[in-house]
Amino acid sequence: MKILLIEDDEALIATLTRSLSAQHYVVDAVKDGESGWLYGSTFEYDLIILDIMLPKLDGINLCQRFRAEGYTMLILLLTSQDSSTAKVEGLNAGADDYVVKPFDPAELIARIRALLRRGSANPLPILAWGDLLLNPSTCEVTYNNQPLTLTTKEYDLLELLLRHSQQVLCSDEILDRLWSSEEFPAEATVRSHIRRLRHKLAAAGAPSDFISTMHGRGYYLKALDTLPESKLPLRSQSTGSSQTEPATAANPPSTDSNQEVEQAQQQAQYAEFLNHTWLTTKPKCLSQLADLLQMVQALTSAPPLARAKFLSQAEQQQAYQVAHKLIGTLGIFGLKDTVDRARQLETLFSADLAPAQAAQAETLIVSLQQAIQNIDAIPSQPSSKQSPAQSPKSPTNEKSHTASATKVMIVDDDQDWLCTLPKLLNPWGFKVTTLADVQQFWTVLRTVCPDVLVLDVNMPQFNGLELCQMLRDDPHWQRLPVVFVSVFDDAATQNQAFTVGADDYLCKPVRATDLANRILNRLRRMRAWAS
Amino acid sequence: MATKRVLIIDDEETIQTVVQFGIRLTVGWDVITASSGPTGIDTAKTERPDVILLDVMMPEMDGIATFKVLQANPETEQIPVIFLTAKAQAAERRQFNDLGVSGVITKPFNSLDLPEQIAKILHWPLES
Repeated sequence: MKILLIEDDEALIATLTRSLSAQHYVVDAVKDGESGWLYGSTFEYDLIILDIMLPKLDGINLCQRFRAEGYTMLILLLTSQDSSTAKVEGLNAGADDYVVKPFDPAELIARIRALLRRGSANPLPILAWGDLLLNPSTCEVTYNNQPLTLTTKEYDLLELLLRHSQQVLCSDEILDRLWSSEEFPAEATVRSHIRRLRHKLAAAGAPSDFISTMHGRGYYLKALDTLPESKLPLRSQSTGSSQTEPATAANPPSTDSNQEVEQAQQQAQYAEFLNHTWLTTKPKCLSQLADLLQMVQALTSAPPLARAKFLSQAEQQQAYQVAHKLIGTLGIFGLKDTVDRARQLETLFSADLAPAQAAQAETLIVSLQQAIQNIDAIPSQPSSKQSPAQSPKSPTNEKSHTASATKVMIVDDDQDWLCTLPKLLNPWGFKVTTLADVQQFWTVLRTVCPDVLVLDVNMPQFNGLELCQMLRDDPHWQRLPVVFVSVFDDAATQNQAFTVGADDYLCKPVRATDLANRILNRLRRMRAWAS
Repeated sequence: MATKRVLIIDDEETIQTVVQFGIRLTVGWDVITASSGPTGIDTAKTERPDVILLDVMMPEMDGIATFKVLQANPETEQIPVIFLTAKAQAAERRQFNDLGVSGVITKPFNSLDLPEQIAKILHWPLES
């Protein structure tokens, strides 16, 4: 991902360039607004970090100029003014987000990641394609759970392909996006990086054409069309077709954001359901395997004289059925590795078990038991048409690190929203309390003691703005992070919200991912302040 | 498209519940379940689903036997049947096709994709 930093403070440029480069972003930095315009309008960037106070052309005017000229790259404003007026002015100028100086570089990077996700075809924190997982937060890449060791450029290239998984990327575009304007790599450089990446992926078990070439056009991630458990991230496959094609002018990727939101919601609900079901399924699977182990150990561990040579026909049939059923059961959770082992077991039990095979079966059963025992959370199942969240590693990865005990209280008079939201936020592991009756606000607040409060603006009796004002006047609650979520998208209401002490403001409809990220960001900021 | 009714006959409760949830979540179809061949046949007679998803390997009465009974009964012979099987060998697929099933879906499958797979097999229009 390529970022243009427009900032006149050299020390800040150095710090930010270092932090961003460590996160595998390619950074171009310029020190005044005119140069910013020149670079931003000449080269392709995924995001611009734009200081407001700049020589020659200030950030607000530059932002307006980019938007007026039709540039749609993400823009994050850096401002030293912590007033809501400045923020509203920046957002009205076309910025996508703002950060107030001084800021924590970690928070800036989290915000950048959140913004890039929002602008990406894949809105979830983990990028996945089939068995390939890339975690932009940790820069870890695995294929079928095997870690891949990549160079910086190989990583960048893979991330780029994942973020544009429905597009064919030509060499020029890849060069533009991954190499800074000061470097002058040739097209052959891209080819050699692609070749090395393919080699590493193949070594981890990926098909040799995992990254495919469209001759004369460029490179793309090949659709994984045959595996039911394949994890294709986007819906833009042609419905009913088992073979997908990369997006082309004739077959553009879906841009229906409502559909994406709906899919992300379904994904989260499905992940939640699978995890819930796994709680009862896991012990059943382990119990079946324990029975199977006992049966096999009668052949391998009994004293030689008492040892039977073969399983009885009934035992063998039973063992075969258990293995067969495990394939279906584990498969429904998308647990590919365990399915493969269950399949091996099924093969072993499909005929008389010779003594040597009994030992093999025993080893297999024990390894399967261990594998199942270790599965505490189910990878969410990206359908062939939905966004991926391969696993707890997506939202729940956040959960394990940051949100495991985060209490979120949501006050809103929209009952449907209150019913849906806890389910949507569940993959992030928040403990959500909802409240529709504002009369109960203080009682519930004191009981729950939330870490974050999510407020609607317009509610009967008290509105959210009044509640926020009262919280800020109360020494006990004045530091409680408050995030507004409202249908009002006008600057006046947002301004009013920040005036009464809001920490953040989102307009409905809101994606669960966005809300979760805002909540997590807010908490990180709180922790940064506290430390 | 109009709401469909799907009957799943599978002795694995987990598969029943996950499939039911996945189908309801994605397309909102009615999903009814049965845990054995005989129960499934009774349910098919009374509920007249639009499609039956039938597990091949079940104790007592397997999917093939169940399918034959369904086909022999005038009340259920018109209901399309799709086999759910963990076996994907070509020979078995041919065997299933020869029996006259409408289609085969191989386990493991993703429940979120099932409606699309079913619609494709049965040529149902499905809004994308």
